[in-house]
Amino acid sequence: MNRKKGDKGFESPRPYKLTHQVVCINNINFQRKSVVGYVELTIFPTVANLNRIKLNSKQCRIYRVRVNDLEAAFIYNDPTLEVCHHESKQRNLNYFSNAYAAAVSAVDPDAGNGELCIKVPSELWKHVDELKVLKVHINFSLDQPKGGLHFVVPNMEGSMAERGAHVFSCGYQNSTRFWFPCVDSYSELCTWKLEYTVDAAMVAVSNGDLVETVYTHDMRKKTFHYMLAIPTAASNISLAIGPFEILVDPYMHEVTHFCLPQLLPLLKHTTSYLHEVFEFYEEILTCRYPYSCFKTVFIDEAYVEVAAYASMSIFSTNLLHSAMIIDETPLTRRCLAQALAQQFFGCFISRMSWSDEWVLKGISGYIYGLWMKKTFGVNEYRHWIKQELDQIVAYELKTGGVLLHPIFGGGKEKDNPASHLHFSIKHPHTLSWEYYTMFQCKAHLVMRLIENRISMEFMLQVFNKLLSLASTASSQKFQSHMWSQMLVSTSGFLKSISNVSGKDIQPLIKQWVDQSGVVKFYGSFAFNRKRNVLELEIKQDYTSPGTQKYVGPLKVTVQELDGSFNHTLQIEENSLKHDIPCHSKSRRNKKKKIPLMNGEEVDMDLSAMDADSPLLWIRIDPDMSVLRKVEFEQSDFMWQYQLRYERDVVAQEEAILALEKFPTPASRLALTDILEQEQCFYRVRMLACFCLAKIANSMVSTWTGPPAMKSLFTRMFCCKTCPNIVKTNNFMNFQSYFLQKTMPVAMALLRDVHNLCPKEVLMFILDLIKYNDNRKNKFSDNYYRAELIDALANSVTPAVSVNNEVRTLDNLNPDVRLILEEITRFLNMEKLLPSYRHTITVSCLKAIRVLQKNGHVPSDPALFKSYAEYGHFVDVRIAALEAVVDYTKVDRSYEELQWLLTMVQNDPVPYIRHKILDMLTKNPPFTKNMESPLCNEALVDQLWKLMNSGTSHDWRLRCGAVDLYFTLFGLSRPSCLPLPELGLVLNLKEKKAVLNPTIIPESVANNQEPVNTTNNHGQPVVFQNTFSNSQEEEEIDMDTVHDSQAFIYHHLNMLERPSTPGKEQSSGEVTMHPVSAAPLSVFSKESNSSKHSDHHHHHHHEHKKKKKKHKHKHKHKHKHDSKEKEKEPFAFSNSPASARSIRSPSLSD
Amino acid sequence: MRIALYGSKMADTAPGGSGTRSGSKHTTTPADNYYLARRRTLQVVVSSLLTEAGFESAEKAAVETLTEMLQSYISEIGRSAKSYCEHTARTQPTLSDIVVTLVEMGFNVETLPAYAKRSQRMVITAPPVTNQPVTPKALTAGQNKPHPSHIPGYFPEFPDPHTYIKTPTYREPVSDYQVLREKAASQRRDVERALTRFMAKTGETQSLFKDDVSTFPLIAARPFTVPYLTALLPSELEMQQMEETDSSEQDDQTDTENLPLHISTDDSGPEKENASVLQQNTSLSGSRNGEENMIDNPYLRPVKKPKIRRKK
Repeated sequence: MNRKKGDKGFESPRPYKLTHQVVCINNINFQRKSVVGYVELTIFPTVANLNRIKLNSKQCRIYRVRVNDLEAAFIYNDPTLEVCHHESKQRNLNYFSNAYAAAVSAVDPDAGNGELCIKVPSELWKHVDELKVLKVHINFSLDQPKGGLHFVVPNMEGSMAERGAHVFSCGYQNSTRFWFPCVDSYSELCTWKLEYTVDAAMVAVSNGDLVETVYTHDMRKKTFHYMLAIPTAASNISLAIGPFEILVDPYMHEVTHFCLPQLLPLLKHTTSYLHEVFEFYEEILTCRYPYSCFKTVFIDEAYVEVAAYASMSIFSTNLLHSAMIIDETPLTRRCLAQALAQQFFGCFISRMSWSDEWVLKGISGYIYGLWMKKTFGVNEYRHWIKQELDQIVAYELKTGGVLLHPIFGGGKEKDNPASHLHFSIKHPHTLSWEYYTMFQCKAHLVMRLIENRISMEFMLQVFNKLLSLASTASSQKFQSHMWSQMLVSTSGFLKSISNVSGKDIQPLIKQWVDQSGVVKFYGSFAFNRKRNVLELEIKQDYTSPGTQKYVGPLKVTVQELDGSFNHTLQIEENSLKHDIPCHSKSRRNKKKKIPLMNGEEVDMDLSAMDADSPLLWIRIDPDMSVLRKVEFEQSDFMWQYQLRYERDVVAQEEAILALEKFPTPASRLALTDILEQEQCFYRVRMLACFCLAKIANSMVSTWTGPPAMKSLFTRMFCCKTCPNIVKTNNFMNFQSYFLQKTMPVAMALLRDVHNLCPKEVLMFILDLIKYNDNRKNKFSDNYYRAELIDALANSVTPAVSVNNEVRTLDNLNPDVRLILEEITRFLNMEKLLPSYRHTITVSCLKAIRVLQKNGHVPSDPALFKSYAEYGHFVDVRIAALEAVVDYTKVDRSYEELQWLLTMVQNDPVPYIRHKILDMLTKNPPFTKNMESPLCNEALVDQLWKLMNSGTSHDWRLRCGAVDLYFTLFGLSRPSCLPLPELGLVLNLKEKKAVLNPTIIPESVANNQEPVNTTNNHGQPVVFQNTFSNSQEEEEIDMDTVHDSQAFIYHHLNMLERPSTPGKEQSSGEVTMHPVSAAPLSVFSKESNSSKHSDHHHHHHHEHKKKKKKHKHKHKHKHKHDSKEKEKEPFAFSNSPASARSIRSPSLSD
Repeated sequence: MRIALYGSKMADTAPGGSGTRSGSKHTTTPADNYYLARRRTLQVVVSSLLTEAGFESAEKAAVETLTEMLQSYISEIGRSAKSYCEHTARTQPTLSDIVVTLVEMGFNVETLPAYAKRSQRMVITAPPVTNQPVTPKALTAGQNKPHPSHIPGYFPEFPDPHTYIKTPTYREPVSDYQVLREKAASQRRDVERALTRFMAKTGETQSLFKDDVSTFPLIAARPFTVPYLTALLPSELEMQQMEETDSSEQDDQTDTENLPLHISTDDSGPEKENASVLQQNTSLSGSRNGEENMIDNPYLRPVKKPKIRRKK
C-alpha cells in the first residue's frame, strides 16, 4: 500500500508477474444460469521464496487448483461477504465504513491481496527459487451469479436462442473476479486466450480477435476462440453471449455490431454514424485505434448504459433507435462516442492505481468533449461544460468536496483526506455512485483547465505521446516488464505535460487535483464616474464545506459602449476591490454601433441604461477557467443587455437565470425577443420559456395581453387561417421541434391571481393534444405527446379540500376531469400502439402521481406497483418506482417501504435495484433529524443487513445501501435504537453480544409498529452497565479499526481447526463472561474491543487467553496485531475440496 | 317398402304432443293446404302399409311418427339425388342419381323390383292435384337483364338490377381547412376512445377511484416477456407512415442530413481512405484494399468442423 509512485515507474505489489491467462468456459447453462470453466495463469515469480499466490475470485466455486500439474492447496476467503461480524448493537455508519474499507483493502489486488490464496506445492519450491515459470490451473464454476455476470432469460416457450436469452459481464470498476479467478487489477497486464463453448445458435463476443469458431463433435455447440495479444488488465475483459444478429460495419469491416434478434434495422441505423467518431478520435490523437477490431454489443437489462472493455463495448439495447426518433439520436451518439474515447484511455491505456483514475477519466472525458464540440457545435459544448460545472459545484458544496487524486499516508484514518464523507475514497468499491459520477465530471473539467493553461495542441501531443509509448510497449510480446508503459500514473502524466509544454502546471494540479473543493465568488461593482473606473469587489467564501480559497488570475470581461474588454485580475489573499479603468465615456447620445467581443457590431437601444455609466454588462470568469460558482450583482438592464447581445450561450443562460429576480416588462420583452430569435441557440430559448413563465407569475397582477408565450406559439406553430389549430407536425427543423415541445410545458406553469392555471392555457394545451396530427411527419411524435402530458401535469394545482374528505369521482374538478380523460386515453392507447421507449406511459404515470399528490385522485400506489413489476420496460418501471418512492414519503407508508426494499433485494435487474436505492436516497421517507413512524429498529436492522451482507455481489448496490443508511440515520448510531445502557446479552453459543431482547426500550415502545426481537439464543445473561453511555460508545467505535490483516489470519486459523467456528459447537451452554469479575467500567471497553477484533468467536481456550491479552494491551492495539502476524498461522488443508468456499463462520441467514 | 315397426304396442310411447301438431293450426294459407294434402296422402300410404303388414289398428301418434319418418326418408332421397345431379352439372336427376342415392343410404336396390311386384300390395289413388302455391314474388324493381348469348339458358336469371348496379353520388367536398382538421381530430379521438373503452371492457382494468371503475377505466398493465421489443421497434403503423413520408414531399427540405440511413453493407471506397489518417500500420489497410468486394470479418467466416480428436 505504501508504494512510491515516483519516477522509477511501476512497482508491482505482487511477488510475481502475470504474463498470460487462458479463460475457458466449457459450458453455459441458461436454464440453470450456471457456468463451468477453467483458467490458466502463466506467472513468473519475481522473488525467490514465493510460496503463496493470491488471486481475486468472488462467488466462484473453485474445484481444483493445480500449479504446473501438481495439486495445490488453496483457501478461499472473502471478508467483503459480511463486513461486520457479530454486530447487532453497533449500528453506526462510521464503524461500518471503516470496516468495509478494511475488508475491501484486505482483498485489494492493488495491494497484492486477493480472496483466493494458493499455496505453491513444496515440490516446486526449488523451481520457484530459479524464478521459473508457473502455470496455475484453476477449475471453477458459477451457479446463479448475483453479480459480475448477468443472465437474461425471458420466460417463454422455445429454445434459449429463440427466446433471446443472453448473458453478459457487467459491474462497476474491477469486477471481473465475479466471473473468473484472476488478478482483478487494472495494473496487472497480460495477454489473453479466451474460449467459450456455446450453443450453435448463439454467438460469444469477447475481447481481442476471433481466431476461429469450431463445432463440437456433436455439432450442437461451437467454440469461439479469441486471442488478445495486446497486454490487457483482467478488469477490462468482458463477455457477451446470446443469439445476436451480426452486422459488419459497412464503413469499417473490422468493426462488428451485435444486437438481440429482431432489432437489426435499428442497429443498422444506430451504428451508421460510428465511423465518424472513429475518424475524429484517430485524427485528433494522430494515432490509429489501438486494437485490430472493435465490437459493440447491445444487450437488455444493462448494468450501465455504456461499458467499455478492451476492443469491445457493451451498451444497453435501449440506446437503439430508428430514424424516426429525434431525441434519442444525440444521446445515443454521445454514448457511442464516450465508449470509443474510453477504448483509448481506460482500456488500451490502463491506470497504475486507483488514485490515477482521474487521469484516464479526465482524458477520455476531455476528448469526448472535443468530439461534442465538433459534432454538436460550440454552443452545445459550452452549454455542456456549464452544466457539468454547475453539477460538480452543487455536489461539492453539498457533500464537502470531490478529491481527484487522493494520496494516502501511512494508512492512518486520522488524516483521511475525505473525512467529510460517509464512505472511504481509498477504493473505487467503497465510493458512492453519485460521488463517482461527479468524480468523472470533475476529472474532465480539470483536463479542460489544463488545456486552457498549456493549449490544446500541447494537450493532444501529450495524449499522443502516452498512446505511442503504450503502443510500442504493447508490441513487445516477450518483454512483459515493458508493459507497465501502458499504465498511466498521475506523476507520469504530469511529467509528460511538463516535457511537452515546458510549462509548470503544478499550482493548477495542487488546487484542483490534490485538493477538493470549489470556489465561491460573490461579485458586485460600482462605477466611479469621476475617475471613469469600474470598482469591482470580489469576495470569496472559503469557509463553508466544499469550498476552497482561490488565489491567482481571474478573467473579467466588461462590455462597454466602445467595445468589449478583457481584464485579468490577480485574486490575492486580502484584496477584495479591483479598479478597472473604463475605456469609454458615457455618451449614449451618439448613434453608433457597438462592437461586441466577437467583432460583430450591433445597434442597441441604449435608452434603458444608466446615463452616467458606459457599462453594458460585466462577466466574471467568462471562460469557466476556474471551478467556481459566481454570484454577481448587476442591474436588471445589464442582464437584459447581456441576454440580448452577448453571443456566448453561457452568458445568455446566466442572464436568464438572473432575470428571474426582475419581473418587469423590460425583462419580459427581452425574453420574448430571445424566444423569437431563430439564430439563438435552442437551449437558451427553451430556458427562456421557463423564465418567462416565472416572471409572468410574479407579474400576474399587472400582466397585460394573452398568457405568456401563447401568441408566440400561435404565430410559430399554428395555422395562419385558424389560429386555434396547430399545424400538422413537421419536425424537420429540430430547433423549432424542441421549442414546440417545451413551450406548452412552460406555459402550463402559468398561474392566475387565484394561483390556478388559467383556463385559457389549459384549453390551449388540450387543443394541442386534440389537433395533434402526425400523419405527414417523417419523425415520431412520441416525445412531443409525452411533453404535452407533462404540460397537463404542470397545470395541476392543489385541490380545494374540504376537511379531508375522501376523493371520489363526484367531487372531481371539471378541469381535472378533462385532464384525466386525456391521460386515460393516452395510457390506454399505449397498450395498443406503444410509443418508442414508452415515453407516453412514463409521462402518464408521472401525471397521475401529480394528480394524487394534489389531492384530486385518491392517493394509491397500487397502479404504480403494477407498472413497476419485472417485465415492463425499464423506463416505465423507473417512473412507477419513483411514484411509489414518493408515495412512501408522503404517506409514510411502512408497507410500501418494505415492498421497495424487498425489490432491492430480489429484482432480477441490477439497474432497478440500484435505482430504487438511489431514488430513496434522493427522496427519502425521512431523514436523520426527523421524527417518523417509519424509523424503527427493524428498519435499521434490515438496512444494516442489506449493506453488511445482502449486497456483497454488487459494489454499486452496496454503496447505494450505505448512502441510504446515511441519509436516513446519519453517521452515528440511529436515533431510534435503544440506548445501550439497557444492558448487554452475551451469548456464547452465538458468540455475540446482543442487546437484551427482553427489555423493550422506550423509544421503540413509542413506535407504531413495535418490533419484537425474537430471542432465539440461549438463556441470556444480563449485565447492568450503568457506566457506558452512547457517547462513550461512539468514541470506541472510532478507534477500533477493523483490522483486515488480523481478520484474514483469523480465517486461516479457522481452516486449521475446522471444528472451531461457533456454529458448529454443539454445546449450547451459555457461560458467564470470563471477565465479568473485572470492574464494570473496564468491562464495557473490553467487551467492545474484543468484539471488534475478530477473535471473539474463537475456541474457548484461546478466547480466554486473548481476553487476558486484551486486558493488558487494549491500548496498544497495533502492537497486538503485529504479534498476531508473527505467529504466521498459515495452514493449508490437504484436500482441496475441503477448502471450498469457506465463508465467514457467522453466516448471514 | 317394408317398414319395420317395433311392435304396435310401441305406439303408445310416442309423445302425445306430436299428434296434435298439424291440427291445432288456426290460420291456413294455400301453402299450408298444399302441405297438408301431401301429408294426408302419406298418412294413407303409411296406413295401408300397416294394414298390409297385418296391423288392425294403430294409434294416431304412432301413425304420425311413421309418417314423419317416411317423409324424411323421401325428402332425404330427393335431397341427395339433387346433390348428385348437381354434382355432375345437371339440373334434372336421372335414375342413376336415385340409385346411387339409395345405395348410399344403405338400401338394397335389388330387392326393390320384387317388392314393387308383391302380390298383396294396395294401390292408392293418386292425391288430388293441387297446384303448388306460388311463392310470393319479391318486389321487382326494374327489368331483369336477359342472359347474354354465352350463358346457357338453364342458368338462373340475373338478380334484380338494384342489387348490383352502382350509382355514384357526389357530395360537395368539405374544403374548409378548419372543418377538416376538426373532423379529423374528433374522428380520431372518437375511434380511439371507442377502441380503448372496448379494450377496457373486454379485459382486465385498473381504476384510479375505488368507488368508480367505469368512468376512467385503465387497461391493466401486463408485463411482457421481452419488454424491449415493443418499446424499441416502431409499430407497424409508424413503419407504414415512414414509408409514405419517405417518398412524399417532405424530402425537399434540406436540413436533415443529420440522419442518414445506411442500409447497405457493401461500401464504396471513399470513406475508407480518410479513415486511415495514419499510415503507420499499413498492413491492415493494405489487406483491406487487396480484396475489394470480400468483407473479411471473423464473424462471417464459416464455422469449422471439429478436428479428429487425438488420443492422449
